[in-house]
Amino acid sequence: MDWLFRMKKHLAILLLLPLALVMACKKKMSFDEKVLYQVASAKIQGFDPVFASDAYSSQAVGKVYESLYQYHYLKRPYTLVPNLASAMPEVSEDGLTYKIPLKKGVLFHNDECFPNGKGREMKASDVAYSIRRLADPKLQSTGWWLLENKVLGLDEWRKAGGDYSAPIKGLETPDDYTVIFKLKRPFPQFLYALAMTFTSVTPKEAVEKYGEEFLNHPVGTGPFTMAPYEQNYRIVFEKNPNYRQEFYPTEGEESDAEKGLLKASGKTVPFVDKIVLQIIREPQPAWLSFEKGRVDMFGIPKDNFDKVVAPGDAITDAYKEKGIVLHISPSLDITYIAFNNADSLFKDNVHLRRAMSLAYNIDEVNKLFYNGRTLKAQSIIPPGIAGFREDYVNPYREFNLVKAREEMEKAGYPKGEGLPVIKYETIASTTSRQMAEYFVKSMAKIGVRVEVSTSTWPQFIQKVNTKQAQMFGMAWGADYPDGENFLQLLYSPNGAPGSNGSNFSNPVYDSLFATSSVMQDSPERTALYERLNQMAAEQVPMIYGVHRKSFVVKHGWVRNYKYHEFSQGMEKYYDIDLEEKKRLYQKM
Amino acid sequence: MENTIKIKSRSVWSDAWDRLKRDKLAMVSLGVIIIYAVVAILSATGLLAADWDQKVGESYMAPTTEKISLLFGTDIFGYSVLRKVIHGTQIAMSVGLISTLIAIPIGISLGALAGYFGKWIDEAVVWFYTTFSSVPGIMLLMSIAFAFGKGLTTLYIALGLTSWVGLCRLIRGEVMKHKNREYVQAATAIGAGNGRKLFIHIIPNVIHLVIINASLQFQVAIKSEVILSYLGLGVTGQPSWGTMIDDAKQELAQGVWWQLAGATFAMFFVVLAFNILGDALRDALDPKLKGK
Repeated sequence: MDWLFRMKKHLAILLLLPLALVMACKKKMSFDEKVLYQVASAKIQGFDPVFASDAYSSQAVGKVYESLYQYHYLKRPYTLVPNLASAMPEVSEDGLTYKIPLKKGVLFHNDECFPNGKGREMKASDVAYSIRRLADPKLQSTGWWLLENKVLGLDEWRKAGGDYSAPIKGLETPDDYTVIFKLKRPFPQFLYALAMTFTSVTPKEAVEKYGEEFLNHPVGTGPFTMAPYEQNYRIVFEKNPNYRQEFYPTEGEESDAEKGLLKASGKTVPFVDKIVLQIIREPQPAWLSFEKGRVDMFGIPKDNFDKVVAPGDAITDAYKEKGIVLHISPSLDITYIAFNNADSLFKDNVHLRRAMSLAYNIDEVNKLFYNGRTLKAQSIIPPGIAGFREDYVNPYREFNLVKAREEMEKAGYPKGEGLPVIKYETIASTTSRQMAEYFVKSMAKIGVRVEVSTSTWPQFIQKVNTKQAQMFGMAWGADYPDGENFLQLLYSPNGAPGSNGSNFSNPVYDSLFATSSVMQDSPERTALYERLNQMAAEQVPMIYGVHRKSFVVKHGWVRNYKYHEFSQGMEKYYDIDLEEKKRLYQKM
Repeated sequence: MENTIKIKSRSVWSDAWDRLKRDKLAMVSLGVIIIYAVVAILSATGLLAADWDQKVGESYMAPTTEKISLLFGTDIFGYSVLRKVIHGTQIAMSVGLISTLIAIPIGISLGALAGYFGKWIDEAVVWFYTTFSSVPGIMLLMSIAFAFGKGLTTLYIALGLTSWVGLCRLIRGEVMKHKNREYVQAATAIGAGNGRKLFIHIIPNVIHLVIINASLQFQVAIKSEVILSYLGLGVTGQPSWGTMIDDAKQELAQGVWWQLAGATFAMFFVVLAFNILGDALRDALDPKLKGK
């Protein structure tokens, strides 16, 4: 009897076990609090703004910290608006002096590092301190490039060892609410630097109190504070009770009102009480979490594309029924296959470059590798940035084998005769290999023989940086929304190991670029950008690829979401509709 | 007058062959291997699947029986997966064959020298192969692939150079056993030199081990080629089973299973056949197992 009883008990446990597991999986979702569930696919490197160089870390830093400026949430093209600054700066005639007024009454998070644990007011000295930290040679910040050789006296201060009490000529704080920057030479993109997470404002007290642990103990002025770090794969942010009054924007693009993005106009932000950021490395489990409603928004993995996106870029019915919404937005980027223009083969032979460009069928590439959802690039500047012209068609962009063969004759290699085998560098990944195969096949049609060489990513970069790569595939994403960030890819002083890996060198282009790079935004500068862009197109220093798009899905209960290329800190505008969530969550 | 019955003397080889013939599974495996070999030769001479890089349809067409070339469907570029499998057979078989041909002479010569001469030669060889085999195989393969650049030739060399240790050990041990046997002593008595004793007398008596080892080595090489190509370190510019499986990794989420299936089955049968044949050869050739 006894054993029977015991067995029954075991049986009961066995029977209950799966139930318990199911319950554990279907953790109760709370509907009383507005919680935003986000996902990141890589570990957060820490919360120190001066090290926030990867996308995920800068997203995390952006929740807690703020910079002087930020991008307008709704307006396109992307426009800067004040954040910690109270207004746009006064820029001197010569473009060298920036006088920036600060908001009054901005408080740091409540934290033990301050007397009585109460966050004190942010002042101009904090801005100066944060800029010094970015330049501090002892810290070796990953964002130093941003200000290198730009601010008067800052490089010298860095070389001298970074003494925080030493003055810097180009960084002055005449009173508590004014910061003055003086530049070495005009740098019209300077304000963009002040909108990046690298230049976020940090309080000295926290850095001094926490030392190395400052990386895991952020104290900023941002809309959210970080709750104590519990797990590596789940980070919780809470609404900052000290947050000043900030409002949801009242204007945006024309279509924004129609999309309901202006309903919250003028309301106080942030809307959500909490943000839960989960780290899920693999795209498939992250996707499943999204489908279950445990992640609020997510970029679609390429492999799940057809399941989610129906032809014509609509969302498939199965997902529509669940209230899931698809957002498609152009990314500010370009893919390309670069010629090494320092290589004797390509250097003075524009016809060869044109021939190869004409033989590469970008429409087919778009179809095979990007689900047919990209815009083919005519030149280097992507749409959405001044310098791009919708009506411009690059005569060497089309797929035209007849013209390509003519160019081959002009190049001195009729039907490819006498042309040595060209080496194409790529990295060891499935898609890269397939793209290389496609390139080889395309070039064979005009008699150009291509040999593929595969490397790991660091080896690949090294080959490009030492000018050893003869041809290679690359992509460039915008650091800030200015054509300069793309045109500089072909400026010869930026040649390898700089960002001009194609080593394109053209004196006319260089001098025009140098002129434009010190000009403030103006119709003249835009005209110059357009001219440079067209030159870059017709000289074919690279085979232009595509401008990609971002495909983001979000649940029906997320309000006010709009895709933003520079989305650090934009969570303050998102809202959760709890009623809607209760209703839709049942369908997951 | 002559009453003696003539008994034809049977060599160890014909004896083994008789035993092998009786093993039906081994014979089927041998047949499978011969088929693969014929396919590989036909492909190498351009008689079969030479047009693997021609489009036969749209990208990712599902398998149909309408056309032979569409039997296994198409890949991303609209190439016939069947033709890619056939071309992959050529790659796999050539890698197996050539790398085995590289490994065997190294294994035999080092093993025989070490086993026969002993002393410092033995110590040197043993030191060399223990050091060599303590480096993880895949790391060694990768570093060779990076040093010589990627491609089929590198693959032959890399796999050949990394797979002789097992055979070397085996031969060394066997030669040690044989060198004091009577027949070798007899050879010494009639004045045979070291070279004669080793190459004419001892090695023919251990050569069956080479055959067993080769048949097992062959399939290891095929598998390694697939793994290396899957990791992007192997064949470039032409289809191999490894790159097909690598392609499939992404295609599967879209429901494209035929590339994976084609390459996996092709590999499965040949590797299985070599394994079965290898075991059967051991049974047939190893005198110790005779009669069991």
